[in-house]
Amino acid sequence: MTGRANPFWLLAPALLVLGGLFLSALGLTLIRSFRYMPVIGLTEPDLAAYAAVLASPGFLASLGLSLWIAVASTGISAVLALGAALLLRQTFPGRRLIGFLVQMNLTVPHVVGAVGMAYLVSQSGVFARLAHAAGVIDAPGQFPALTQDPFAIGIILLYVWKEVPFITLILLANLQSIGADHEATARSLGASPWQAFRHVTLPMLRPGLLAASALVFAFAFGAYEIPLLLGASTPKALPVLAWQSYTNVDLAARPEAAAMAVIIALIGLATLLAYAHFAQPMADRGRDAR
Amino acid sequence: MTLEVRGLTKTHPGGTLATIRNLDLTVDSGRITALLGPSGAGKTTVMKLIAGLLAPDAGQVTLAGRSILHLPPEQRGVVMVFQNPLLFPHLTVAENVGFGLRMRGLPTTEIRARVTEMLERTQLTGLGSRRPAELSGGQAQRVALARALVLKPDLLLLDEPLSSLDPTLRDDMRALILTLQRETAVTTLVVTHDQTEAVVLADRIALLLEGCLAQHGPPDQIYRQPASLAVARFFGGANFLPGRATAGVFQSAIGPIPLPAGLPGALTDGPGVLTIRPEAIDLVAPAHPGALTARIVASTFLGTQSRVELDLGGTQLQALVSPDFAQGLTKGQALGVVLPPSALWVVPDPA
Repeated sequence: MTGRANPFWLLAPALLVLGGLFLSALGLTLIRSFRYMPVIGLTEPDLAAYAAVLASPGFLASLGLSLWIAVASTGISAVLALGAALLLRQTFPGRRLIGFLVQMNLTVPHVVGAVGMAYLVSQSGVFARLAHAAGVIDAPGQFPALTQDPFAIGIILLYVWKEVPFITLILLANLQSIGADHEATARSLGASPWQAFRHVTLPMLRPGLLAASALVFAFAFGAYEIPLLLGASTPKALPVLAWQSYTNVDLAARPEAAAMAVIIALIGLATLLAYAHFAQPMADRGRDAR
Repeated sequence: MTLEVRGLTKTHPGGTLATIRNLDLTVDSGRITALLGPSGAGKTTVMKLIAGLLAPDAGQVTLAGRSILHLPPEQRGVVMVFQNPLLFPHLTVAENVGFGLRMRGLPTTEIRARVTEMLERTQLTGLGSRRPAELSGGQAQRVALARALVLKPDLLLLDEPLSSLDPTLRDDMRALILTLQRETAVTTLVVTHDQTEAVVLADRIALLLEGCLAQHGPPDQIYRQPASLAVARFFGGANFLPGRATAGVFQSAIGPIPLPAGLPGALTDGPGVLTIRPEAIDLVAPAHPGALTARIVASTFLGTQSRVELDLGGTQLQALVSPDFAQGLTKGQALGVVLPPSALWVVPDPA
């Protein structure tokens, strides 16, 4: 051996924290989800909690809502961010100001954004009152419900507002490292501007776009505070439902809460694996080549 | 298809790119012209202006007599190959080569046939299904060339096609470019900063210095008859004698030197700088009739030649001789120097 320590030992403190806190919590949750709780006399592990959760219409409605929120916010954010990144790549007056605003948005906490969103678009909010004052609607209550609404429009709006800058910044960094010469080559080889984007720029941006979207999807699917603040009372987003069951005074509801948590974690893991499957080979292929 | 560039001007206010001023350039149909200049002279900018990737401030660009400036890059019939291969990383070699044909909407069977033929001609047979990341530098450069030539462009622009390659691969690539150009007779403009490369590749050279065309002509003309001191310096000239030409004789610090007949009138009368290429100078015995007397200051072995530095009563000259001849010389030794009249050339005094 030379004087260099095995990286494993250098990583040990971080691994200890990660393993100690995260894995043990996950393990405990897993054990509970199998209905093993000696405190209340449950000593035979089984899958009854999963069966109950999966059979419950409330759970399925919440799962559907959470998937809808995650898919819609990710899809809309990705498309808007792609457009924003392509625009911000060009030089025009005011570009620095817009770039600054985009970055500043990242520093605003989600909760602060949620409060602002409620203030703006709820039925007692600024927009509703402005519409009423302008005579567009007869009463503020006629303003379309954008918060606590069944389609979670307020939640999706907030995620779009927060995540578009995030994806944009990742794409801008990607565009910068790719440079403009591949696109220029495509044009010179006879591609129209649209063809050059469709067949060269977009495929080269794909790894970055997928990575950023996977992060946004996993976050939007598993986040708790925004659905709590802006969501309707039924159905609740899955993390809200899980936390509510977990804090239920009836300890017998705990295994079901744990089962929900495990399902949320599994869906997050599936997203990650899907991303690794689709994006990694692309990134490897793209690495040299320039 | 003859390319004509007239009065091309492009400035970049506050930008980092080089400025082009009032550039005139002609590339004869089916021939290779080299646009030669040091880094930062604006060569790539000229390429991009012709390819339509930049818009000029002023000037005209015509191909076969028709203006192409109003056309978008994809409709100009001009294909530019960049200094880096810039292969599309998500496509295979065959898909890269077929890219332009696919963008034109050609039938798949025709694309496949033309790609296969082009891969063969660029010695890439069997590599069609590889990814760009799996290619060597020389292979990638050949794919980039194949991707352009498969389109049978009216004008091919090559930006430093050899500079990203190892010296051993350069000769192969140079030979391949010359062969393919001869076979396809595609009108070609090559950008390079290397004068040897320009001389070997091109029928004509356009020398770009500081955004302006310094000289435009066949390689040997630029070599022997530089239009200015800057051109002579760029082409490796080392011997410059300031003085004044009067009635066919050049008066300089080393005495009167008779000028050859047939020099343009402007150069046989008035102040100027006499140049002679180092390899044209003859070293002879001190007593040789008509020879100037010189002392040897230093001799450096360069491989195929040796450089001998001479002192002629305070005036320094350099001569290139065979290494065998240089071995018999010693520092301080007196020698005769003959400047063959046919190798003499006078450039205008830059002052």
